[in-house]
Amino acid sequence: MRASLLVLGGLALASSACSWTRFDDVTADSPIVLFEKPGAMKSGFGVTLATATNDGTTEVLVGGATNVSGAALYDIGNDDSPGTTSIDTGYCSGSSQDCYLSSRIAGFAKAQGPDQVRPLCFAVGTGTADKSGLVVRCKDTAEYALEMPEVAQKLLAVTFAQNQPYDHPMATDRTDDPVLLASLPEKRIAWFYPSRSLEFSALGLPDDADADDPSFGQSLAVLAVDGGRVLAVAVPGKSRVFLWKTDDDGNSAYVGCLGDVDGLGRALASGRVNGDDADDLVVSDNVNVHVIDGAALFDLPGTDSRECSLSSLPRGALLNSFGCGSTSSLSGCEQSEFGAALAVGDLDGDGDGEVVVGAPKMTVRDEENAGALLIYDADLADEESFVDSKFISSAENGDELGRAIVTPHIGNRDIIAAGAPGGGKAALFYCSSLLAPGAAGSRCP
Amino acid sequence: MFAPVSSGFLSRRSVPVLLLLALVAILSTSAWAQPKDNSSKRLEAIRSEMEKGQSLYVAGNYVGAAEVFETGYTTYPYSAFLFNAGVCYQKQNDVDHALAKFKEYVKVDPNAPDVDKVNQRIATLEAAKATAMAAAAAAAAAAAAATPVGDAGVDADAGPVVVPPPPPPPPIILPSGDDQNAMKSLVVIETEPDGAPLRIYQRTDANAARFALGAPANPGWKEVVATRAPANLTLDVGHYHVVVEKFRDFNASEADMAVSPGHVHQLKANLSQGQFMAFLRVSSNVIGAHIWIDDKKKEHPLWGDTPHGELVPGGKHDVLVEAPGFEPFLSSVELEHGEQKELEVRMVRVNYGVLRIDASAPEVKVRIDEQPKGVWRSGEEPLDVRFDSGKHKVTIESDGRKTYEGTIVVPRGQILPLHVKMIPKYPRGPAWTQAIIGAAFLGAAIYVGSESNKLYDQLKEDRANGSLEGSDSRATRGKWFAVGADAGFVVAGVLGGLATYNFIKDPLPESSVKAGKLLEFEDPLKARPVARLQPRTRPLQDVAVVEHGPRFEFTPNASSTGGGLFFGGKF
Repeated sequence: MRASLLVLGGLALASSACSWTRFDDVTADSPIVLFEKPGAMKSGFGVTLATATNDGTTEVLVGGATNVSGAALYDIGNDDSPGTTSIDTGYCSGSSQDCYLSSRIAGFAKAQGPDQVRPLCFAVGTGTADKSGLVVRCKDTAEYALEMPEVAQKLLAVTFAQNQPYDHPMATDRTDDPVLLASLPEKRIAWFYPSRSLEFSALGLPDDADADDPSFGQSLAVLAVDGGRVLAVAVPGKSRVFLWKTDDDGNSAYVGCLGDVDGLGRALASGRVNGDDADDLVVSDNVNVHVIDGAALFDLPGTDSRECSLSSLPRGALLNSFGCGSTSSLSGCEQSEFGAALAVGDLDGDGDGEVVVGAPKMTVRDEENAGALLIYDADLADEESFVDSKFISSAENGDELGRAIVTPHIGNRDIIAAGAPGGGKAALFYCSSLLAPGAAGSRCP
Repeated sequence: MFAPVSSGFLSRRSVPVLLLLALVAILSTSAWAQPKDNSSKRLEAIRSEMEKGQSLYVAGNYVGAAEVFETGYTTYPYSAFLFNAGVCYQKQNDVDHALAKFKEYVKVDPNAPDVDKVNQRIATLEAAKATAMAAAAAAAAAAAAATPVGDAGVDADAGPVVVPPPPPPPPIILPSGDDQNAMKSLVVIETEPDGAPLRIYQRTDANAARFALGAPANPGWKEVVATRAPANLTLDVGHYHVVVEKFRDFNASEADMAVSPGHVHQLKANLSQGQFMAFLRVSSNVIGAHIWIDDKKKEHPLWGDTPHGELVPGGKHDVLVEAPGFEPFLSSVELEHGEQKELEVRMVRVNYGVLRIDASAPEVKVRIDEQPKGVWRSGEEPLDVRFDSGKHKVTIESDGRKTYEGTIVVPRGQILPLHVKMIPKYPRGPAWTQAIIGAAFLGAAIYVGSESNKLYDQLKEDRANGSLEGSDSRATRGKWFAVGADAGFVVAGVLGGLATYNFIKDPLPESSVKAGKLLEFEDPLKARPVARLQPRTRPLQDVAVVEHGPRFEFTPNASSTGGGLFFGGKF
């Protein structure tokens, strides 16, 4: 009889200990928030991302398959209560006019429209708005097109005629009056639109520059520096990154080329890494990610040299380089495509940015190709620079998180938005181990 | 058994009384005569009638006493019955019947020693009767004279006159003085061989010296009867001396005899021995105990069964008394010639008993005080287990049936029949089924609960490192696991409770023992003794049935508003 009572007591104890409501508690205000994929998205989700912040409002544009799908806009506010339902799915979608989504889209805090400056606009691809060109759509749903170089315009006409689109990657900086950089890999050309300008300026390469590769312009970056911008156009197929600098009036000059490292330029990103007032250039090759001082690049004089090497950089311009890191949950660095996407964000709000590196083929808890985000603090030594990692707890095989990364700004810090196009996911990562305890709201410890 | 006649006996004839003491058997002790002796049985029946009438007479029930004596005389025509009946009628003032009985008495026993007294009583009664009749006649005449002749039967003013009946005769006042000693007794005197001459002397003076045979005179003694044996005499209450005179080659002998009222007395003299035998009576608290005299090894037939009395030669005798279930009793008895001695034997039961066990099961195993004592099978005689008397733990087991355990008091020297009702064990199949299913649920609940905890830990860890996504499927899975675990625990608990209840539940009674009436040990001599001891009035209460261990019970309860289990226990 005593044994029976003990058994019953044990059962009662075990029963009381196994509460299911704790799962609601642990998942409430989770550190990661997934955007809901709109039904209007034709194909893919999270292939490309862009963000823009204006007047305390931060928005994230999540794009689908290049040239096929559209993009959806999400308002994530200024705190840790994001809207996960798209507020506008009309980006390259829903209109009777042609529009082809680019593989790299760009966000503007403010954009110069045909008649006025509009806040929170995104350049999403090529197509027709008020005219044909690069299509820009703003939060107020106003759309307009930026005229492109003639060869691009002609090719766009062919595209319209034959329905054979070509990719037009784009990039911009995070200033209030950003510069838009665009390229047409098919024609190996790149151009930019100075701040508050609807007119493009072509970027010229030195004669005989070795840039004839379909990967031309697949990754771009615009570095806001004191006095102008540094524009970077990568040709990863040639392991080169071509650099220009512009002044505030839109005058540009070719300043050099980075190269001699396999796969250099697979991805580019810009942001304030080293704490000065200038954006720095983050560039990945097949193995590593390098951080190059933007101010040093801006200080480079104009040149006609066709030489391309990292070693030609000024002394101290290469701030840091780091490779793939693994954790108990993350493995498979060799085939992780470490550096497939890059972003710079001030995740801990300390004024300088951390480098977020996408590794979409990373294995997460035995889920192959689930993908992960590796976070580096470039201020630290090489061995210590790998400070954090992020992955989606519900990672599945083939998600490929880290194909696209941006760092939306909320409050006084940046968070991470990353796409996992293999799983059709796009997520916001609110927490970082770099944050001080209690400083990151209810979603973080 | 007859001793040779002592040559010195006659030479001691002058010695008063003692040497010639005859045996006087007072038949008020019922077992006096040998059971097989018809004469003794007849005397016993006569004695019964005589004493019955005497008892009624002493109690003042003269009518009843008269009837008994009349009936006794009809069956056993001894004149003592007639006289006693006459006395009873006289006590009732029934002169006619009294006279008839007394006259018949004189008629049938004209040689009765008291015939003169009876004739005198008859005369007295007739005189009293005559006096009474004369008085009655005078009274009638006086009554007739008092009646007016002219107005005979008619009153001119009041109509016809009723003639009063003649006055009843005055009661006959019979002589009083008959008390309980008025009853006569029957005295039977026998000799071995028959035909010996007898003389009977009655003591007329209470202070007379003892009768001396051969003395020239015995003052205070009067010869009342001279006859030959066997003799059936009707004698008054009093002290008598019986003399058996020399007869053929046999010696003379004598004996004193005290006759009590309304009794039957027997006197027997063994003349061949030349001396009177002693009489030994052995009684016991056990009726029917076997008696051996001078036969310790029991090589000869038994002497008798208690209570038993018989003439035995004088001298020392070894008396062995045995009864099944009692310790043997052996004692030596010294008897004088002609002495009457009663040996009261207090037998003690042996310090062991027998349990006679049968059961309502095909086969039972019996253990007493944890020692195996045998196996009883259906169809066999009950299993007899001998054991020391007193309380013992008895365990009776049978396959598929509830084990009986209890405390039994083994009697001393007796057989305690135990009829064991072996109750089948209540089937535990449902309990085992519930227990197994409950265990399966418990195991599954523990497993899924563990998985749930594992998932929760993972989620918690992911949340801690900022990788937890709100719609993580593990949360849903873990939640369902937790629900499943809790449900499993509940189901396991319910099934466990039901199993426990069904393990404890037992609507069948426990195996029990019904103790039968105590039996005496079998008598190999086929004479089953009957203890005179007080019968056990509570035999079953000596059989203490002990229930072992506390019991708990679950009682299911259901109503329109819910249900549950009540838990209770017996300690």
